[in-house]
Amino acid sequence: MTFVIAHAGHWLVTIAYFIPVIGFMAWLAVAQLRARRQRERPDSDRRPPG
Amino acid sequence: MTLPIAHGIAQRADLPITLGLFLFGSVVVLVVSFVALAVLWRRPLFEPYPWRPLSGFLSRVLSSRPVEILCGATGVALLGLVIYAGLKGQQTAAANFTPTFVYVIFWVGMVAASILFGDVYRAFNPWRAIGRAVAFVARLATRGELPPPLAYPRRLGYWPAATGLVAFTALELVNSTPDDPSTVAIATLVYSVLTFIGMALYGVDAWTTRGEAFSVYFNLFSRLAIFETREGVLGLRPPLAGLTRIQPGSGLVLVVAAMIGTVSFDGLSETGLWVDIGGALGDLFGSLGLSSETAFEVSNAVGLVAMVALVFALYRLGIAGMKILDERRPAGQLADWFVPSLVPIALAYVGAHYLTLLAFQGQAMTYLASDPLGEGADLFGTAEVGISYFMGARLIQWLWVALVVGGHVAALALAHDRALVVYRDEQDKVVPSQLWMLAVMILFTISALLLLLSSNA
Repeated sequence: MTFVIAHAGHWLVTIAYFIPVIGFMAWLAVAQLRARRQRERPDSDRRPPG
Repeated sequence: MTLPIAHGIAQRADLPITLGLFLFGSVVVLVVSFVALAVLWRRPLFEPYPWRPLSGFLSRVLSSRPVEILCGATGVALLGLVIYAGLKGQQTAAANFTPTFVYVIFWVGMVAASILFGDVYRAFNPWRAIGRAVAFVARLATRGELPPPLAYPRRLGYWPAATGLVAFTALELVNSTPDDPSTVAIATLVYSVLTFIGMALYGVDAWTTRGEAFSVYFNLFSRLAIFETREGVLGLRPPLAGLTRIQPGSGLVLVVAAMIGTVSFDGLSETGLWVDIGGALGDLFGSLGLSSETAFEVSNAVGLVAMVALVFALYRLGIAGMKILDERRPAGQLADWFVPSLVPIALAYVGAHYLTLLAFQGQAMTYLASDPLGEGADLFGTAEVGISYFMGARLIQWLWVALVVGGHVAALALAHDRALVVYRDEQDKVVPSQLWMLAVMILFTISALLLLLSSNA
């Protein structure tokens, strides 16, 4: 079977438009998961030292 | 495997500004709107929303029995004409009433009517009119002892409507002869039989509210309109607000995903990307022994279903993001609550994609109405009227962008309003949860503009 991607020259470039949004979503997920973990941590961990 | 890369999705040569600038400008509008909503929109405006009755006379006339019968009879007459002209008329799409009426006036024009005037399809729905008439006669014949219909199964929800929508768009986008008049007429007959079975089992109202594909489709769009009838009284409400009163149910997300995904596939199928993917799929199915026509149809079917699934998955990705913040509510419940906010996006997709079809091809009805069978008749003296291409390419492109951006901003506003209601007691979750909706809206905006403003090269 021959898989011809004759038009990829252009549509591969258009995929680049999505990269910033996908990056934003990844950052959002990491930031919100980190915040959630911090919320879930037992109180003793959040107590200031001393 | 060879990978010859030549040409493909290319920007339309006549764009007033570059594609990148269009996309950048649209994303900026969304982000600015999001910030403005977060800062200025601090309490829900749509739940509950104000409703003001219109003059009693107008309400009485529009909801009167003679008007109801007249609208229903018009719908039934048009259904009959669609089937008769499709089967008996000339078998050419350009000369036959059926394909243009079904794909342009009914499928696209009724969306415009629903946005402007509210749920007018309910009045003209031929299957509902026939179902109600049959029930009326049956009640008379049995002296009111007609057995009650079955209770509509909760699990069935909006699934029949979602299936019907995908099936109708498959007729248009998967089938290799979509505008063949007899094919459209036979599909109409098959759909009519299935609809009558649904009505006979579960009752006319239950089936039209949740099961009948076109009722659900046009009703969702009509909720953007400013007109709403309550207990037979016509009144005014704020635009968009009607979407907050949708009854959630199983399959509702799929209906909305189908509304967006099927139009997206229509756009995708005209791009070089689909030439590559569809061609490869066609080769694959051809190598399995299918004829080239069947292989083409199966590859289109795969593409159509994949686009609906992709829209569904993108939305659920946004909901999964919201779930990071909201551990209390099930993801399915959040998906049901926020899905009405996608309806303006569906309108933007339909409006932008089919704008020219309705504006130009819709005019064909002037001569097709005079000669529905294409046999040389001139019933209204309009058989010789031509089509006026009154909008230029540049204006159309700006209208596309305005529709797409406007639709997504409206969607953001609706989602924000819903978040204010859902997180009434947890205000700190309103903006962070909506960042996910913003990301999803931006993905949809970019996809829509890429599909609209790109062309085969």
